[in-house]
Amino acid sequence: MQMTGEKGNKLARVIPEGSLSDKLESDPKLDSTSQKRIGDQLRAMYDELVQQPVPDRFRNLLDLLEEKDQERST
Amino acid sequence: MTQPEPDLRDALLAAVPSLRAFAISLSGQIDRADDLVQDTLLRALSNLHRFEPGTNLNAWLFTILRNLFHSEYRKRRREVEDPDGSYAGRLKVQPEQGSRLDFEDFRTALAKLPHDQREALLLVGASGFSYEEAASICGCAVGTIKSRVNRARFRLASVLNVNDVDDLGPDSMTRAALQSSV
Repeated sequence: MQMTGEKGNKLARVIPEGSLSDKLESDPKLDSTSQKRIGDQLRAMYDELVQQPVPDRFRNLLDLLEEKDQERST
Repeated sequence: MTQPEPDLRDALLAAVPSLRAFAISLSGQIDRADDLVQDTLLRALSNLHRFEPGTNLNAWLFTILRNLFHSEYRKRRREVEDPDGSYAGRLKVQPEQGSRLDFEDFRTALAKLPHDQREALLLVGASGFSYEEAASICGCAVGTIKSRVNRARFRLASVLNVNDVDDLGPDSMTRAALQSSV
């Protein structure tokens, strides 16, 4: 907005360090504690999903495809 | 690492747990997620010639899954108008217990995010992809991913009252921080 360049310090407060040329500076920013809590919670939830046993259908599917492949190549 | 058959089978099988986690988190339904993962594997196998050896197999698989999810999502959207995302309605909602977080609250909050934000957050914050990888998976600019992740976090924090500074004040913020760090 103020393009005169002289009172540059007025603009400085808006831009956190490392903020890139993206739209980032207009986005809301979380404090690091909140960000960590969200991150921890997300990973905990997700890890629970990743830990679930793989359903047999996937193993069977891949085995089946592998057999077919071997048949074809012999 | 990228030799033909048995290794590939193992690599694909090894990718299944994270593909499932992503699919479940995206769709909110285990059955649908498993169908998505299965379609992803089939499509990957029939397009193997397009995979560049030495590049990240997981990222490639996630790209396929994400594209399948989106084309299906668009189809369903036409069938059923669902402004809130049917996803949200299917999830169990438990009564709020102050600002304490648990998975149900978290899942519900996650379900309320716009899908592009949810997807970006899942890729970067949960699946462990870099911003660059997530951008290539979603076919958008790195800055867009950063912005989506940032917005997603912010929204989650406000839905979950993690960030409610006015409400909590500095003292309870400190307490909250102590709680969460244990």
